[in-house]
Amino acid sequence: MSLPTPSEPPVIRLANIEKVYQTKTIETVALSEVNLTINRGEFVSVMGPSGCGKSTLLSLMGLLDEPSSGTIEIDGRPVTTYSDKELAGLRNHKIGFVFQSYHLINDLSVRDNVELPLLYRPGVGGAERRRRALAALDQVGLNARTGHFPAQLSGGQRQRVAIARALAGAPEIILADEPTGNLDSVMGEEIMTLLLGLNRDQGTTLVMVTHDEQQALKTQRLIRFFDGRQVA
Amino acid sequence: MIRHVLTLMWNRRRANALLILEIFLAFLVLFAVGTIGTSLWQNYREPLGFRYDNVWQVNYSPGTQPKAEALGTLQQVLARLRATPGVLGVAVTMANTPFSFNDSRTAIDFAERPDGPKRPISNINSYAVGPELRDVVGLEVTAGRWFDQRDAVAGAHPPLVIDEQMQRAMYPAGESALGKLLTLNDKQQWRIVGVVRAYRTDGELKEPLPAIFGPLSPADTLFLPQSLLVRVQPGSGAVLEKRVTDDIRRIGPDWTSTVRTLSEMHESQFKQVITKPLLLSVMSVFLLINVALGLFGVLWLAISARRSELGVRRAMGAPAGAIARLIVGETLALTTFGLVLGLLVAVQFPLLGVFRERTSVYLTAMGLAASGLYLLAAGCALYPSRLAAGIQPAVALREE
Repeated sequence: MSLPTPSEPPVIRLANIEKVYQTKTIETVALSEVNLTINRGEFVSVMGPSGCGKSTLLSLMGLLDEPSSGTIEIDGRPVTTYSDKELAGLRNHKIGFVFQSYHLINDLSVRDNVELPLLYRPGVGGAERRRRALAALDQVGLNARTGHFPAQLSGGQRQRVAIARALAGAPEIILADEPTGNLDSVMGEEIMTLLLGLNRDQGTTLVMVTHDEQQALKTQRLIRFFDGRQVA
Repeated sequence: MIRHVLTLMWNRRRANALLILEIFLAFLVLFAVGTIGTSLWQNYREPLGFRYDNVWQVNYSPGTQPKAEALGTLQQVLARLRATPGVLGVAVTMANTPFSFNDSRTAIDFAERPDGPKRPISNINSYAVGPELRDVVGLEVTAGRWFDQRDAVAGAHPPLVIDEQMQRAMYPAGESALGKLLTLNDKQQWRIVGVVRAYRTDGELKEPLPAIFGPLSPADTLFLPQSLLVRVQPGSGAVLEKRVTDDIRRIGPDWTSTVRTLSEMHESQFKQVITKPLLLSVMSVFLLINVALGLFGVLWLAISARRSELGVRRAMGAPAGAIARLIVGETLALTTFGLVLGLLVAVQFPLLGVFRERTSVYLTAMGLAASGLYLLAAGCALYPSRLAAGIQPAVALREE
């Protein structure tokens, strides 16, 4: 596990973040006055009731969305200075996503799904993509299922494919949005063990949104949200 | 990325089967239209070989007059017409005059060497014409000579003039046919004395066919020529036309005649030949519009159905441009599947020699049809691809 040196900027920093969803008739404040720092190598869990802004927070951290106000910094650099292409590159190289509903592409095999982030990485050829995808699948214990399609897998296996996909690009940060939310407790435990191992053995920074208090307590830091605000 | 797109579309082939079928059918229609269009265009570019402006066709019927008498009457008619002011030349010919839809075809088994193997040369346009035809319609002699007094040698082989297409059909390697003997279906041997550029009486849109010319002399009593081709001074009109028909009626009281200008006949023939291909083209345009609307609609729907997938791709680091390229690429891959099926069918036409069309025409038509469909598909994919590129990943992923 690599701990941040004192001079090293936090890997993610959110300052005075506010996110408002606006329609013609309704204005919904999803996040307000969020100030948060994620250090390199941390495993942070985010908890809170439904609709409190956890997923929005993860979208902002993952550069999938822009805040209505406030600043997001990645490695000390505000992301407002990046172009769309640079942001895509940053997501590709630095960030891996794991979603509650897996978001696998049903018409692609397990291996092709795992190769997906590498497909958008210039300079990585087909053979290298395959090697890294197989290595990631091996890491999550699914090397026997590379030719299967998502529909042929159980929920836990699908989530492991999703984790392998996040791992294939060797990102510094993994953002996991309720990765065990659709799984039974045994499967959930397996996935949690996998994520803890990644953090412990490879020093991957993890931010996990969860409703499961037990799992959240296994992480290094727990942040609680309520009604769009950070309460703990 | 290309492999990825092909894999994706191959895995989705069942879902896209109807679209692939539609593209396949559209390709076949475009291929048919392309074949006809290319054939017409290639034919059009070939030289017609003669001038039809200020040339009139005079058709006549001797009524009940016996053939021997009719031949005499014809000589008088010819003499009168040649003496008529405004008439620059008159040539006798059989009924296969330019643009008349009449033809006289023959076929021969030809051997380049007396003891060599024979091969068929078919669809030869056979013309029996008066020696004045060269000047009346401006035939261009490219080798040897046209009919003249030298042909009147007793006991010699009768002279034959061929066109360049016939020369190529006889000697593809380029050997000259001049002086060679050609045995026609009447078993008589004809000596080739000259080669003309072409004489495409079927018009510029019809496939150029080889042609042979035999002479019709005034002394010939075997055939009664059925038509006259008359070159007149520019600007000649109804007055001369009336005089010609009046003169014919005066010389042969039982004779009836009609006069038409070759320009009129050309226009009429051109319209008639082009009408069917034009109708087919119009129908194919409607079909293409249908295909385009179908493709556009399916792509639009697909974008809506795939928002989550596209959101994931964006989350995995795909820039907006890559998403747009993915959609266009997928559409082109889909088009390729349809085209491959279509090409498998289309390639049978030159391989099996269907319709006797030239291979180059089929190949050009395949190229045109494929390019047309690729352009259509790319055009239809442009707007949906922009929509896809504009999908906000956070919104798309939240919708799941």
